[in-house]
Amino acid sequence: MPARNLEKWNKPPAGLKPGEWVDSRIYSDQDLFEEELTKIWKKTWIPVCHESELPEPYDFRTMSIAREPVIVVRGPDKQVRAFLNVCPHRANTIELRPSGSFKEGTASGNPKHMTCMFHAWQFDMKGNCVFISREKEGYQDRLCPQDVGLRRLRCEVHFGGFVWVCLDDKMDKSVAQWGAGCFEALQKPLDAEPLEVFHYHKAIIPCNYKLWHDTNCEFYHDYLHYHNRITGFNDAYFARKNTGFPNGHVVVGSFEVQYDQYKGFESRKEVSFPHLPPNHWYMIDMFPGMNFNLRGSALRCDIMTPLSPDKVMIEFRGLGLKSDDPETRQARIEHHNTIWGPFGRNLHEDLLAVTGQGAAMHPDADRRRILHGRHENETIHDEIGMRHFYDEWGKWMDRSPSNPDLKYGEGHNYMAVNP
Amino acid sequence: MTWKRACAADEVAVDSLKKFSVDGVELVIANLGGEFRAIPPACPHMEEQLEQSGICAGGVLTCTKHLWQWDLRTGEQRGPAEKPLLMYEVRCEGNDVMVRIDEELAYEYGSEDDDDFEW
Repeated sequence: MPARNLEKWNKPPAGLKPGEWVDSRIYSDQDLFEEELTKIWKKTWIPVCHESELPEPYDFRTMSIAREPVIVVRGPDKQVRAFLNVCPHRANTIELRPSGSFKEGTASGNPKHMTCMFHAWQFDMKGNCVFISREKEGYQDRLCPQDVGLRRLRCEVHFGGFVWVCLDDKMDKSVAQWGAGCFEALQKPLDAEPLEVFHYHKAIIPCNYKLWHDTNCEFYHDYLHYHNRITGFNDAYFARKNTGFPNGHVVVGSFEVQYDQYKGFESRKEVSFPHLPPNHWYMIDMFPGMNFNLRGSALRCDIMTPLSPDKVMIEFRGLGLKSDDPETRQARIEHHNTIWGPFGRNLHEDLLAVTGQGAAMHPDADRRRILHGRHENETIHDEIGMRHFYDEWGKWMDRSPSNPDLKYGEGHNYMAVNP
Repeated sequence: MTWKRACAADEVAVDSLKKFSVDGVELVIANLGGEFRAIPPACPHMEEQLEQSGICAGGVLTCTKHLWQWDLRTGEQRGPAEKPLLMYEVRCEGNDVMVRIDEELAYEYGSEDDDDFEW
């Protein structure tokens, strides 16, 4: 019960075992961060945007994965393709805008082409190089467009119309296989008909991306969310399962939320998703760092881009059905924004919490133990979601999350190594 | 018999809680819908001020910090509540809510232990 001096503070609680805490260095150490980008973010499927953000042929979106500039375009054949957004000539970033269309020409290039403004090399929507400025004069017959196409990246549109990209050409799984069953909970509601993004905002948060993902993986933090406590805490709420899937994904089962229990909210029964009973709520947290959160009338998707050990960019999307009539769409927007919008009830509470964690786990912070020791028969206040994620993290990194100085295997008998 | 007037019936909206000071004794009046209850102002759990954090709905009082609940009609504990709710006797006289206060009702909260910290 009493406060502890540093020596006692640094000892893990006696009742917990190695897998039940993680070493704070996994959130703050610069070398581990770089290693994560190489060993995880460059090797796994990452959702980068939603196909409704590329509605017309020649529409594009740019982003980065593990600092690699990426561009996603919809070709004239309506197919979505992804490329490294890097010019084969001298590695300039080809397209700097976050989004737009190549239909019209650009200052240095012709319509329907991506153009590197530096020396005006041009590429089509399939990544072929179609023009090299003063090609013959400078390269004679030593180099021609066939030699310098863009690097094409593995890309799939899957699960509700999200666009997934993988930087590892040898990734042996499709997105569906990578999901390993975790999509099932929401497959029907999200694939019944085309979806559309109706809300987008992004924020750079001073904390490690995994801290945000941890928060999405556990509902114990509903003590942070006044709104969730009031509309939620009943037997059905606590009965929900927190289920781990292969590849480090976690799915939280559903229950019916009583929105009208909260002052100023009425029932949301009138708007839902196909095959989703009204007011039901499913959450899918995917390794290494994205979240699909379907709360009755609105789907929220967080996509994280790790920027540095204690900095993450989070892109928040709100989605509804493309077929929504204006009235239904407005209801979805209000339902989404009152909880998750920039001025919603919940989001800033989460952001306050992870920012607070970030302050204690900046790159030069003291080493701490982050406890993931709650066991509650795998229901939603059980911290199994994080234990499951960090076991996967350990495999990709070949490091033990409770002591990253040890290999993944060694870590598990940590107590044997350090009684 | 020390019956005292706490407030007028219409000063407390239905399904709401309001704090009053009755001759120096602070208490909260809950309006269950024509029926009233009078309780100490703080939650039995951890001194939470119920006028701010309590919800009175359908005859059930919920403290929103840790969701302890009581059925205000029967006084029965609900949800995670682990301590009973103390209640003053209440009756209405015309438009006045009368409360019988023999002595102030209060809960036992854990005391701070003394500082025997060793470095």
